Amino acid sequence: MFTKKKLIVFAIVCAIFAAGEYWIFSTIQASFEKNAAKEITALARAIAASAPENNESLASWTEQLPSTYHGYRFFAFKGVPGEEGSEPAGGDSALSELWKLPSNADIAAKAAESVSYLEVFRWPSRVTFAGVPYTLIIAPVPDAEGSSARAALLIAADASGYVAFGRLVQTLAVVTFVLFALGFGIATFSRDPISGYAILVLAAVVVAFVAYPLFEAVRLTLIKQGRFSFDVWKTILSNRQYLQALWGSIQLGIVTATISTFIGFMYAFAVARTSMKGKKLVTALATMPVISPPFSLTLSIILLFGKNGIITKQWLGLQNFNIYGLGGLALVQTISMFPIAFLTMQGVLQAIDSTLEDASLDLNASRWHTFSHVTLPLAAPGLLSSWLLVFTNSLADFANPLLLSGSYRVLSVESYIEVTGMSRLNNGAALSLLLLLPTLTAFLVQRRWVSRKSFVVVTGKPSTRLSDLAAPGARRALTGFVVVVSGLIVALYLTIVAGCFVKNWGIDYTFTLVNIHEALTRGKQALISTITLAGIATPIAGVLSMVAAVILVRKKFPGKRILESLIMTPFAIPGTLVGISFILAFNKPPLLLVGTGAILVINYVIRELPVGLEGGVAALRQIDPSIEEAAADLGADQATIFRTIILPLIRPAFISSMSYTFVRSMTAVSAIIFLISARWYHITIQIYNFSENLRFGLASVLATTLIIIVLAVFGLMRLLIRQSEFLEKTVTAQ
Amino acid sequence: MATKSVPVTLSHVTKIFKDPTSKAEVHAVEDANFDVRSGELVTLLGPSGCGKTTTLRMIGGFELPTKGKILIGDTDVTYLPPNGRQTATVFQSYGLFPHMDVFDNVAYGLKIRKLSHTEIENRVRTVLELVGLAELAHRAPGRLSGGQQQRVALARSLVVEPQVLLLDEPLSNLDALLREQMRVEIRRIQKSLGITAIYVTHDRIEAMSLSDRVIVMRNGVIQQIGTPGDIYERPVSMFVAGFVGKVAFFPAQLEGIEAGGRAICTVGGKRVRAGSAAEGLGTGSPAVIMARPESLRLVEKEDAISSGTVTARVYLGSSVEIYVKTETGEILVQIDDPSGKAIPSEGEAVWIGLNEALVRVLPAE
Ligand SMILES: Nc1ncnc2c1ncn2[C@@H]1O[C@H](COP(=O)(O)OP(=O)(O)O)[C@@H](O)[C@H]1O
Ligand SMILES: [Mg+2]
Repeated sequence: MFTKKKLIVFAIVCAIFAAGEYWIFSTIQASFEKNAAKEITALARAIAASAPENNESLASWTEQLPSTYHGYRFFAFKGVPGEEGSEPAGGDSALSELWKLPSNADIAAKAAESVSYLEVFRWPSRVTFAGVPYTLIIAPVPDAEGSSARAALLIAADASGYVAFGRLVQTLAVVTFVLFALGFGIATFSRDPISGYAILVLAAVVVAFVAYPLFEAVRLTLIKQGRFSFDVWKTILSNRQYLQALWGSIQLGIVTATISTFIGFMYAFAVARTSMKGKKLVTALATMPVISPPFSLTLSIILLFGKNGIITKQWLGLQNFNIYGLGGLALVQTISMFPIAFLTMQGVLQAIDSTLEDASLDLNASRWHTFSHVTLPLAAPGLLSSWLLVFTNSLADFANPLLLSGSYRVLSVESYIEVTGMSRLNNGAALSLLLLLPTLTAFLVQRRWVSRKSFVVVTGKPSTRLSDLAAPGARRALTGFVVVVSGLIVALYLTIVAGCFVKNWGIDYTFTLVNIHEALTRGKQALISTITLAGIATPIAGVLSMVAAVILVRKKFPGKRILESLIMTPFAIPGTLVGISFILAFNKPPLLLVGTGAILVINYVIRELPVGLEGGVAALRQIDPSIEEAAADLGADQATIFRTIILPLIRPAFISSMSYTFVRSMTAVSAIIFLISARWYHITIQIYNFSENLRFGLASVLATTLIIIVLAVFGLMRLLIRQSEFLEKTVTAQ
Repeated sequence: MATKSVPVTLSHVTKIFKDPTSKAEVHAVEDANFDVRSGELVTLLGPSGCGKTTTLRMIGGFELPTKGKILIGDTDVTYLPPNGRQTATVFQSYGLFPHMDVFDNVAYGLKIRKLSHTEIENRVRTVLELVGLAELAHRAPGRLSGGQQQRVALARSLVVEPQVLLLDEPLSNLDALLREQMRVEIRRIQKSLGITAIYVTHDRIEAMSLSDRVIVMRNGVIQQIGTPGDIYERPVSMFVAGFVGKVAFFPAQLEGIEAGGRAICTVGGKRVRAGSAAEGLGTGSPAVIMARPESLRLVEKEDAISSGTVTARVYLGSSVEIYVKTETGEILVQIDDPSGKAIPSEGEAVWIGLNEALVRVLPAE
């Protein structure tokens, strides 16, 4: 708390720190300047010494100099400038004009004096030509005896590097001071410094790794040659190819969302409102596509329907069938994303009190009438919300179109091509920002409209009586439909497994184990580095998300909303945008991270933080705050409470947050494809490379390996969570 | 367990909550001034929402006062966090650690204090004996009854030997019988340890039977501080009188105060020498006579200040309660030693008079 004494102590300590810092940083800068000056003086002397013996060829020599010394400008004088007999010889006229400037007269006189004593003279302050800072030096050209100057060379050296360095040092100094002041301020004034530090760390993380990269991405699209301009956007919005990609994304989103919502609703209805058998199996199968690694379904679609597809070529003998494009994409996206709609709709249907339907049936309404007049209207907001959810997912999808789009254009792939193929980062950034528009719109509609319109009657207790809302015939049709879709899913996964053991898909179907050996040999490094980095990111994201949950649920502090939105942001924005903004932000000091493993770890962490946070928040809301207060009361500080009380109590959320982080990091594509390097490769990109080179056998092996890892991780998670189930009961019991 | 008991002082403590959405201010506690002497048990009593919990939480360090100062002993603890002050709170919902058994729950505070294993063991055993839970040391709290959970919470707070024990409606989750039992238990333990305790409740019987002194609050403002006898017999306002026990009020005019403190007033056209009057009450200002059931009598018509018909009679053995419906509302008259006295039956018209020495004059509200 703020008392006068503390404020005084705080001010004094900060002042001492600032003074010390100023001393250190100004020493660094001064010694750097000194070295730079020494170097440039030596260089100037050397250049001047290499002047032609004949003063007459001085002009042409000077004019040649810039081609040898890039970033320098030269102007030569015959004799000692300002003295009798001296005249301009030639060179960069901008320099001679500067020399003649009246305000320069004093310094010019000094410079001339130095030259006459055969000394190199350096201007005390920098000069600027056309916005670029230069260091100005004049060096004497000694005569044959070396006793006097026969000419002088005026040199301007590009100093923007030094200026940038100076600015970097200053920025570092300011950042260090601000961090110190904040940290020390928290320690001095806060009653709960540990939470204060946690907030500071979280804020620093999101500012550095969410806000700053996004800001860089937006900034890049708004400048051209150092000036503010809408040129990039004008290019984007007037180019047919880009607009085609935008429209392509939207079209694909609409198709996928509509079909997925339909199938999802059928599934949900069959599970929640009929007495169909095998519901658990159906649900389990439907969750497979959600957790399975990217490219696996695409791969399987290609194996089945591609140019050498077993169905298209072997069975149907089609020659010109083309799976690449809107149709194929919609197919594979639907299979990957209908489970989202299914799970959403299942939740909605379960929340609708089925006694309402029973009441309708009791009133002699037909089943169809009950369905269309009671169930459907109640479920409508849920339908819209799952449609929007799938739509956003489809738009953000990068992996499927990357392999399967063919000549069809979508934004996510287009921005990738702009960045990696064309090296047009600004266009790439703009395209991925464009992708944000429909996504944001959908998100806002979801927030504003769906949540308001929702009149789902939530009773809290799932209705025990479950009336079969489908007539026997309808139920059989529904069951048939579910069986077919589930069968398709099974078939797709079996195809991938089969792909591992076939010599040359589409041509030679002999059984072989060669693929496995080759894929694992060539993919080993990528696999190891992926597991390593995901393994590093997992505990970091796990702990950080739980800390964030505690801070956001339990603490009051200014800026809480902003912090929360920033943490959640990476969840709402497409991976391509995250990837592009990361390369933009971290390819220069002070955060030169491109090419390191750290950038991948950071990317995993900030992208998985939102999911963990949501889980942690939900778990914490179940816990009576007086449990934590009791611990504080008994003398525990916030860190001890977190370790001994909170973490054990939200263990299930903690474990599942870590499992998801690990799995989603292992299976990431869209952001990390921009960030990988030869040293730190990623297994999914390896799958993509194998597929691109039509080595489908190898791709299948890696995809299967990933699937096995994912299933193993989730299995382990289940096991660990089950052990702590007793806890969940007792936590909520009180 | 030896606790060094210390006093607690609140001076000008105010707490204003700001509603984050509507920005409206809630004055939960207004200018609270009181002190609790060492070893004393003081109750904060008042209707729900009057700021009792907030006051207690400020003493425990869970809320910061908007204004004012809190001292424990001589130390200003106003801004210290809960883990920085020697208080221990028994929460309304107990706040037991569900993932630890009874022993570990109680040992938690000692482990934080890094005591040796044997000392922890000894102290936990002792305190579990004290609350009668020695056998259940290795139960999970989820498998204890409400009363047992309550005892664990109490033991957990006591074992760290706090300077001040804070209890927030500790009995509100228990059934009536258990409540009475625990009430006696808590008082016994508090007395035997000589620990300073502040107890929050909205139950006047709990407050009256438990406390050395009672602080009555209303809308965040302290109304009266006094012994249970004080606030029952000599309340300062109609609110306090009504909140701490059954009472009937009769509009009256104060005529003057006698040297002995008795107040002369007229009520219902009769001249009455009331036993006492609230301080600062001026002659002529609107006043009421407050009468507890035991200071009312059934009288002849000419001695009565009010009349009505009997609506119910309740025999309580040593006394009978008669409910009388009057023009101003229902009045309860208590007749002690009923044997041999004529008890009016339901529907009968009766006249009510005062036992003048026992009634008190209060400012009308
Ligand atoms: N954290 C809070 N934020 C806003 N208002 C609060 C908060 N805690 C308590 N209040 C308000 O302060 C008033 C006093 O509450 P409380 O101290 O809990 O009353 P009591 O314990 O006497 O029932 C109530 O009006 C309550 O709504
Ligand atoms: Mg309360």
